[in-house]
Amino acid sequence: MKKSFKAIIQAIIVIMALLTVAAWHTSNAAAADTSLQRVKQRGELIVVTSPDYPPYEFMVNENGKSKMVGMDIDVAKKVAKDLHVKLVMKSMNFDSLLVAIQTGKADMAIGGINPTNERRQSVDFSKIYYSGGQSFLINSKDVNKYKSAKNLKGATIGAQTGTLQYGLAKKRIPNSTVKGMDKSTDLVLALKTNKIDALGIEKPTAEAYVKNDPTLKMISSGYNLNKNDVGAAMAFKKGSGSLVNAVNKSVDQIQKKHLTDKYLAAAGKYMKVNTVNTSMFHYWTYFAKGVEYTLLISLVSTFFGVVLGVILALMRFSKQKWVRGLAISYTEFIRGTPLMVQVMFVYFGIGVVINIPALISGMIAVSLNSGAYVAEIIRGGINSVATGQTEAAESLGLTKRDMMQYVVLPQAFRNIWPALGNEFISLIKESSIVSIIGVTDLIYQLNIVRADTYRGVIPIFVAMVLYFIMTFALTRILNHYEGKMKHAG
Amino acid sequence: MQDKKVIEVNHLSKKFGETDVLKDINGTVKSGQVICVIGPSGAGKSTFLRCLNLLEKPTSGEVKFDGTDLTHVSSKQLLDLRERMGMVFQSFNLFPNMTVLKNLMLAPIRVKHMSEAEAEKTAIALLDRVGLKEKANAYPSSLSGGQQQRVAIARALAMNPEVMLFDEPTSALDPEMVGEVLEVMQELANEGMTMVVVTHEMGFAKSVADEVWFMADGYILERSSPDDMFEHPKNDRAKDFIGKIIGSV
Ligand SMILES: Nc1ncnc2c1ncn2[C@@H]1O[C@H](COP(=O)(O)OP(=O)(O)OP(=O)(O)O)[C@@H](O)[C@H]1O
Ligand SMILES: [Mg+2]
Repeated sequence: MKKSFKAIIQAIIVIMALLTVAAWHTSNAAAADTSLQRVKQRGELIVVTSPDYPPYEFMVNENGKSKMVGMDIDVAKKVAKDLHVKLVMKSMNFDSLLVAIQTGKADMAIGGINPTNERRQSVDFSKIYYSGGQSFLINSKDVNKYKSAKNLKGATIGAQTGTLQYGLAKKRIPNSTVKGMDKSTDLVLALKTNKIDALGIEKPTAEAYVKNDPTLKMISSGYNLNKNDVGAAMAFKKGSGSLVNAVNKSVDQIQKKHLTDKYLAAAGKYMKVNTVNTSMFHYWTYFAKGVEYTLLISLVSTFFGVVLGVILALMRFSKQKWVRGLAISYTEFIRGTPLMVQVMFVYFGIGVVINIPALISGMIAVSLNSGAYVAEIIRGGINSVATGQTEAAESLGLTKRDMMQYVVLPQAFRNIWPALGNEFISLIKESSIVSIIGVTDLIYQLNIVRADTYRGVIPIFVAMVLYFIMTFALTRILNHYEGKMKHAG
Repeated sequence: MQDKKVIEVNHLSKKFGETDVLKDINGTVKSGQVICVIGPSGAGKSTFLRCLNLLEKPTSGEVKFDGTDLTHVSSKQLLDLRERMGMVFQSFNLFPNMTVLKNLMLAPIRVKHMSEAEAEKTAIALLDRVGLKEKANAYPSSLSGGQQQRVAIARALAMNPEVMLFDEPTSALDPEMVGEVLEVMQELANEGMTMVVVTHEMGFAKSVADEVWFMADGYILERSSPDDMFEHPKNDRAKDFIGKIIGSV
């Protein structure tokens, strides 16, 4: 007992060491600056953004087709055009944007990112292409209470986690409580439902909300800020001097010709397109795509989770101690870490060595995670098969393998069918975590619809109903087969 | 030929942890012989039987099958030798996930590499022999205990074994089903099958057994012909035990 415990600890240490090596590899990957050369050779500029931040970047629903638009997208287009390469846009959580460029998932990140000193420690920035300024959104009914930012003393202020607004509110508004959330759509909802008193947000975004929602008003931030804290710049992996220089040429032109004014005007038009029809039916293709991806991820992950689970469970019955130890360590490690961290690790961590697309990364992470849980279910199932069964098989001269394949596993699966069904159903719900790396599952699509329509609650309700329909239908199907299997026994 | 030693056991002992279940067992089963093993509960009869085909690994001693000591062979060789010994359990142990026919076909196909068609032909013939041909496509759970045990015997016979080991094959059955199973076993004995049977069915032992072995406390305390064992047991423990089983009938 003690020995096997030691083996587990050892295996975990080995895993940790490998992770450390991978992390070290990440931070030391850039030796020579080949950033521009690589983009040119590939003929593509890969740009990552978080399209839930109008008018900077958001999704627009044009004739049933979804498309990414906004000022930043136009800036990126111009940059790609000036570099004579194709533009490839990727979407992700705002929190993940800088990680994405650091790990080489993209050449450049754009998204109203303020080039603060803290951020400059970890990434390179282009020149500032746009200076928006900071502001607060408040409820219209509070206009007399919060005439200016000075009145916000002691108030509860919301801001997007990981943004400049968050840090500023903490530092500059005396006695305030700052609430951070991932999505600006959630924050607006929090404001409208009085969970927060004011929302720190970029001026152009605030303007967009005020235009589309009469219950909201904007007040100036009153912050006296340095240019770096208000301007938006594009971010690159450290050591990308050549690419940054090339991009700065485009920024110079944008500044000189005041192109951002033109871009913002175009974004405004798109925002009107979005809000002409905010009925959820209008957005059904978004939800349909979300359901499709959610089901796809759950299905694929359940399949590979079961395959991996069987392998791990069989490893637990191996004669070799190290094989058993490996299976135990794996299971313990996976069950001891959150799925969200695993998803990010596969996408960003493993991605340093081999570049895996977000959808595949999500499926891999969820499968690896599910495998550990399924292994335990299967192990229980194998143990639940009566010993008389294995004795009968042995007495007939069957090999261990045949015994497992023909006698034990089929019976084990029949016993654990309900538990496996539950695992599949919980995957439908848990797989929503992959939205953080930009996989367009139902949660991701939900946030897009919320950002586009400025409607906070209805899309959540739609998603809830859709999840319920999926899990309920599945429960029915599984029950049906469970009944059938009982019949056969 | 009749004198060929099929099973030979020398100084067999078996411990489970600290408990000595088998202490010093010696015995020989010759080709065509039927041995009945009797004894009180906990005497180690099942353990002894399971040591004969190495379902239980002996702690020390030899178990020779057809001249080969099973305690010193590779696991591959053990599988080869095991398929030549059939075993029937108290609780039938049919595979509930397969039809009766598939229960009979699995080992011949997987172990003997018989063709599907041939395995099916043998299986049907055996089911016919135990009177259950019409149940070929039924699942075990739909059969009565007596029928299940007959299928279990047919399943063991499908491997065409040289020896059959039975561990209380009728003690889990309702009394009215005991007869049908004993009948099949009796026929098997009459055909000359070598058998080791743990049973307390005196009638069966008297009509087919060549020898009855009385086990208690991890030893074989007496070996006699059925008549001597049941009418005039010599060992005191055996007297006591036989008195009890006769009294209970
Ligand atoms: N796997 C095991 N682990 C520990 N002890 C065991 C094991 N199998 C059997 N025993 C013990 O060995 C002793 C003999 O058991 P065995 O089943 O061989 O007796 P038996 O003569 O067949 O009895 P019965 O008539 O009740 O079937 C019993 O005391 C039992 O508790
Ligand atoms: Mg027993």
